[in-house]
Amino acid sequence: MMYSYYQRVSSTLLVVICLLLWACSSAPEAPRSLPNAVENRVDFSGFWELDYSQSDDIQANLNALVRDVSRYNRQRSQASGVYQQAGSGVLIGGPGSTNSGASVIGLAQMANLVTQSQLMEITQGENEIKVKRQEDFALSCEFYLGQYHTVDTPLGKEICGWDRHQLVFKIVLPEGLTVQHIFSLGPQGQWLNVATTVISDRVTSPFTVNRVYARYEPSDTGYSCKMTLSRGRVCTTESQ
Amino acid sequence: MHDRISVKTGFMMRSMRVLGVAALFLGALTLYAENETPVPTVLVGDVTLKVERQNSEQERLDVGLAVFDPGIPIDRSSHSKLGIFPEIRKAESKFMPVLLRQALVASNAWGVVRVLPDAQMTTELLVTGVIKHSDGSRLELNITAVDATGLVWFDRLYRDQTNSSDYPAAEDRDPYDDMYRQIANDLLNYREGLTERQLQAIRQTAFLRYAASLSEDAFGGYLQKNEQGIYSVVRLPAQGDPMTRRVEGLREQEHLFVDTVDEQYVDLFDEMLVTYSLWREYSRDQALYLDDYEARAQTKERAGRRGTFAAMEQTYNTYKQVKIQEQDLDEMATGFNNEVAPTVMEASGRVFRLNGSLDAQYQEWRDILREIFALETGLPSSN
Repeated sequence: MMYSYYQRVSSTLLVVICLLLWACSSAPEAPRSLPNAVENRVDFSGFWELDYSQSDDIQANLNALVRDVSRYNRQRSQASGVYQQAGSGVLIGGPGSTNSGASVIGLAQMANLVTQSQLMEITQGENEIKVKRQEDFALSCEFYLGQYHTVDTPLGKEICGWDRHQLVFKIVLPEGLTVQHIFSLGPQGQWLNVATTVISDRVTSPFTVNRVYARYEPSDTGYSCKMTLSRGRVCTTESQ
Repeated sequence: MHDRISVKTGFMMRSMRVLGVAALFLGALTLYAENETPVPTVLVGDVTLKVERQNSEQERLDVGLAVFDPGIPIDRSSHSKLGIFPEIRKAESKFMPVLLRQALVASNAWGVVRVLPDAQMTTELLVTGVIKHSDGSRLELNITAVDATGLVWFDRLYRDQTNSSDYPAAEDRDPYDDMYRQIANDLLNYREGLTERQLQAIRQTAFLRYAASLSEDAFGGYLQKNEQGIYSVVRLPAQGDPMTRRVEGLREQEHLFVDTVDEQYVDLFDEMLVTYSLWREYSRDQALYLDDYEARAQTKERAGRRGTFAAMEQTYNTYKQVKIQEQDLDEMATGFNNEVAPTVMEASGRVFRLNGSLDAQYQEWRDILREIFALETGLPSSN
């Protein structure tokens, strides 16, 4: 009698659990846009040349960063009871501490270093993109529906994918350094904005630089280059 | 109360048992799915190549090494997770057989050793391979050797691990030389177990299978295939048979093409060797980093304090250097895979220009040879 009672209770419990699991798995979800959804994609293909006149001035951005970290440091000092006279100028941490002068300026220098490419060549297919950058490594990404592409190596981790109409490349490097590039296309597709953000765990604010690139035809430069196996990179004056 | 507990425990135990059996069943299924055809694994250590000092021409079988299967998963999204660079893999699939050939030639135990654009069952001994894993620290090759009678000599997974002494690789050395030597030794060990009669049967079968591939009508009757797929010679063509001489001539022509293609493989491989060796060394370093990155970070020479430009620049440039190196190799490998020169061949007083990929050229050349044979003999060609 007791045996069948427990059997009944257990069976009922099992059925309830199964129903609950089924209900959870089949509950209708609100429609949401998946990362890398095809409809969000923009075609960045082509040759791009840096336009200094439309790009950010690093010095101006550095000034803004210094203001940011000074404000942060001042608020922190006040919170800890240290009085700071208003308008006392730049307040940056000492060597080795967070927001030290060397770290803040280093962040701006890094942003300058990673945005040096003057020319870019982008090839984009249905499932992948490759951004060849002059004097830097190429950024490449494979898009598969609903997932961000991740490449993990001991020297760094790359994450990339679409954020609606923007393409995001994030490179997480050792020692608290992160570099992020966000690609977005201007109206009519003639301009390409690359917003590069450098983040260090030694500075409380990130540093962002916008570089604007204009489309160009490679033949306009008077030469064209291609990679060959037998002769390496070969440039000719022939127009393409 | 005690009864109630024991009943409850009994029921739970039974449920657990059922779940356990189910789990075991699922586990077994998973294992089966992962290792559909388990093959014996050979862990390669230090290997000395077995060299034959004396052997008769009768014992020397010709060997065909088919370009390896690169082992690239169809699901492209898995490539980066598995650390597979498809273009590099495709290039490796072409030049690893070249390295194996070097070991076989050095063993002085074989006839002509050729790298074939695709697997041809008409060769006396055919060796095929699948690249299961390849980077600077580990190489895994699934190697199968089958003779012309259809007898499988072996089907093994070879696994070799490098150590720091393997790098930087000397110009005439490969970090996985031991593996190629091991495969060469295993082939020789097997061949040594065969009688002269068996070796002769392999050679005759190879020739007749090639002849039958040109004209099944004329040569198909010389061979018999049993239920296990093993061929045996039923009878032989008469000595001095003109048809047999024609077949020999065409077979020579086919070999000539393979030898021409072979030179292309070697030349392209030489072009890419320096970059490839560096890439393998880097990839081994990266694998080691996985193990002791933190330890290295503590001791490595720092360009500056963490967070300073000098330190960040060092971190970024290290990454950049590896990426550029990797991308250069990938681009070179693309060149390796694409750069195939047209081959000009001559047969029966006519000149043929073959284009396209090497395996397409090989197929085209074989078709031409079949047509020539059909025209010369008036027999229908086997297609």
